[in-house]
Amino acid sequence: MTLKKRFAFCFLLLCQFISAQNDSITKLKEVIVSDVNLKKYSSSQSVQVLNDSVINKNQPSLTSLLNYNTVIYFKENGLGMTSAPSFRGTTGAQTAVIWNGININSQFLGQADFNTIGTRDFNSITVKAGGGSVLYGSSAIGGSIHLNNDLQFKNEFSNQVFFSLGSYNTLSANYRTIVASDKYSLQISISRNSSDNDFKYPGNTDQRNTNGEYYNTSMNTTFGYKIDSKNTLKAYSQFYDSERHFSLTSPNGSKTKYGDFNTRNLLEWESLFNRFTSKLKVAHIGESYKYYPSITSELFTYGKVETSLIKYDLAFDVNDKIKLNSIVDYNRNKGYGSSIDNVKREIGSASLLLSHSPSDKWDYNASIRQEVTDNYGNPFLFSFGTRYQFTDFYRVKINASKNFRMPTYNDLFWEGSGNPDLKPETSYQAEIGNEFFTKDFSVSITAYYNSIKNLLRWVPSQGGGDMWSPENTDKVRAYGAEVILEWKPKIANNNFTINGTYAYTVSESEQLIGGELIYKQLIYVPYHKLTGAVSYNWKKFSSYFQYLYNGDAYTTPFNNPATKVKDYNVGNVGVDYDFGKKKSYKLGFQVLNVWNENYQPVTSRQMPGRNYSIYINLNF
Amino acid sequence: MKRFNKLFLTVLVSSAFFVSCSNDDDNTQEARGDYDGGLFIVNEGNFQTPNGAISYLSDDLQIENDVFSLVNPGKVTGDTPICIVFNGDLAYIVVNASNKIEVVNRYTFKSITTITTNLNNPRFIAFANGKGYITNWGDPLVTTDDYVAVLDLATNTISSSLISVVEGPEKIIENDGKLYVAHKGGYGQGNSLTVINSASNAVVTNFVVGDVPSGLVKDNGTLYVLCDGRPSYAAPETAGKIVKVNLSNNTIASTLAFPDLTHPGFMDINNNKIYYTVDSNVYTTSTTSTALPTAEIFKAAKVSTLYGFAVKNDNIYIADAGNYQDPGKVYIYSLTGTLTSELGVGILPNGFYFNN
Repeated sequence: MTLKKRFAFCFLLLCQFISAQNDSITKLKEVIVSDVNLKKYSSSQSVQVLNDSVINKNQPSLTSLLNYNTVIYFKENGLGMTSAPSFRGTTGAQTAVIWNGININSQFLGQADFNTIGTRDFNSITVKAGGGSVLYGSSAIGGSIHLNNDLQFKNEFSNQVFFSLGSYNTLSANYRTIVASDKYSLQISISRNSSDNDFKYPGNTDQRNTNGEYYNTSMNTTFGYKIDSKNTLKAYSQFYDSERHFSLTSPNGSKTKYGDFNTRNLLEWESLFNRFTSKLKVAHIGESYKYYPSITSELFTYGKVETSLIKYDLAFDVNDKIKLNSIVDYNRNKGYGSSIDNVKREIGSASLLLSHSPSDKWDYNASIRQEVTDNYGNPFLFSFGTRYQFTDFYRVKINASKNFRMPTYNDLFWEGSGNPDLKPETSYQAEIGNEFFTKDFSVSITAYYNSIKNLLRWVPSQGGGDMWSPENTDKVRAYGAEVILEWKPKIANNNFTINGTYAYTVSESEQLIGGELIYKQLIYVPYHKLTGAVSYNWKKFSSYFQYLYNGDAYTTPFNNPATKVKDYNVGNVGVDYDFGKKKSYKLGFQVLNVWNENYQPVTSRQMPGRNYSIYINLNF
Repeated sequence: MKRFNKLFLTVLVSSAFFVSCSNDDDNTQEARGDYDGGLFIVNEGNFQTPNGAISYLSDDLQIENDVFSLVNPGKVTGDTPICIVFNGDLAYIVVNASNKIEVVNRYTFKSITTITTNLNNPRFIAFANGKGYITNWGDPLVTTDDYVAVLDLATNTISSSLISVVEGPEKIIENDGKLYVAHKGGYGQGNSLTVINSASNAVVTNFVVGDVPSGLVKDNGTLYVLCDGRPSYAAPETAGKIVKVNLSNNTIASTLAFPDLTHPGFMDINNNKIYYTVDSNVYTTSTTSTALPTAEIFKAAKVSTLYGFAVKNDNIYIADAGNYQDPGKVYIYSLTGTLTSELGVGILPNGFYFNN
């Protein structure tokens, strides 16, 4: 099997690099995480944390980071173009993206475009598989992605500069500074990414990627202030601005471009009273897009939504073992655009959460949420999970939950086509996870089943001419298994880190074919996905290799075998050397798509062949 | 974006059937190529994906899909072919989103050339005076840049002087040296007909025929214009109608109105009978009748998305786009509605083009 051969080949190749020791010494610091509930109520689910050392080795888009390091499959319409996840066989709008505890999926589309989220503005990115609607609301069906900015209250002044330059004039820059004392803490991160993205197609052709250029700029600020020993104020802010031209699929096609401008602001006041912790959050989220169907014309279509939300979270620790949270939130948004009249939506919800550890080996959590809105019914949600440690190297996790996805602005309000009578998509799911772990090794194997009904689809309506409109049509049953592995062997001065993930995914909906209802795999959900990463450190050298295998996937609802997207194997290697003594000054080199794989993640959406970049990463 | 494209597609979907194939010049002789006789089916493929294709159905009902790529290795039909129209020994495939016209020999399907200049969202083509006339929508949001391009058939080049017309020129048909352009509306909804003189390449007249004129068929000195009516998403919604235009003086002779807010799909004329569709139902009426029938001839029950329609030689041809993503189907019925053949074709089959 070619997959294995390539894996072995690259492993060997990698070992020839002179590599270096991992010098990071983890100090115990008081870290204030932005989303405490994530850890508190996810113990019975599969959670993977990607810290900044992983983030820095990857390309700066969320698509690329998650593609190479998690079980999530991406339907990426060419490098840097629109990108939608499929997490556990679900659709793009069934994965929630959570920025410092706040859901930021687009109100228009219900999904986040994973190529409009940069990774380097965050201290860590957490991937939580499975349902999370009780805590995170709409779309947390397949799983949720958490973008976290953490604060430290201790004297610190530090700077990080990352700069890389690669093929096709691809530039990536990030500057981050932290200024902190025991009273306040400030973190500012500024990123810029751009590329001409005009690669020549691999293989025997002169064709180039045309009209694929893009840029994006973002700034993320996190500020914390300790008013006194019981009160803390925190503020989070992000601006994101991007323009992408959409790559052509036909050489003489019409050139289009798309602009995004997003703002996110969150203010939080935390107070401690004995066993109570009170958190008041106020947030404002703005999203807007402009679409230019012809770059030669100044005319565009657009949409804009502004969301204000207020959230109150009261935590009560009954004792060390029993913890409760009650959360109420109210969310109001206003939207308008070229095809959406001024519309408003108001959503309220109330949740109760319980976490209990009857013993050192056993804990469980249970939670409920009632959603109230005038737009789409009032779903009642729940989640129950438990974890039991059988031996010092084995534990079992079980979780079951009901989750939902609300209809989007476009579904409800699109001029002439929107359908105000839609119901939310609802999902009932259960999973069981087995975890084996030792000091430097862990593997988790999770099996799940997810039944989703009232799936929202745009379908042509009978008798309406060329009219399409959304309906609650399909049912989906998704089931599968995931394996996540981490191993950190150390042989003398040689430090290895080996990570791997594998997902087997069946996700089917019933299709009426020749008068018969037959279950067919959803489009762009491959049965198999595999990722691997090896990093090797020796003294001041470090090197790493990443591997991605996506199995073939159907592109039509009836699963036409002739139009599948082919499976592909892609590998990246990198090596860097740290010139610093006390500080870290790294100079590195990367080769992406090492064996020049010719692949299209989506029909006719070509990805680049082998390409290179050099980078510096300075910490001072 | 995805949602946008879907809507975009809905606007773009063309109603298509062949409008000006006639002039049988067959004296039985040796086949002039593998594709002499029979008919072609244009499959649009998915919008923004170059997977459109031309299928060929021989007289003995053998189907061959994607003939352009088969005969011309290394070439693809492209993104959203809209029509294939014959002139002399040549066939012209207008490929909308690829902004090109593939010129091939109509009997061998060998590529002659590819035309890419001065095309911007090309739709349909007709011929007069040694020239080809191609309707173009121009940029999607610009309502004033629509035009008819003029192709010199001797050199296969498109003149840079474009004939400016009102928004959304769609079907085009030739009669007596004049070109009749139906303004279906492009990205909006049109309601008029433009007449162009091929001797001067100037617009002779433009007049209102009815909302969303999608089909043009000429028969016996009369131009039949099928108007869909304004759809529900573009208020005020209106019912469709069939408008008869007298070709000798370019005036409306009479109108056949559809009841309530009915939106017809397609129309063809065969042996002095108008055939048309509403949803999956097929109706017929005499070209001389003054009202539309209330009952259909039959319902094409197997068809889920009727996307192309033609009537020829005692057969009714129906193209089914299915779910718009999987390969579509073609059904052949007798004139009374008996299903005689069912064939698998490409993605989004939109029309039938008889090669004789």
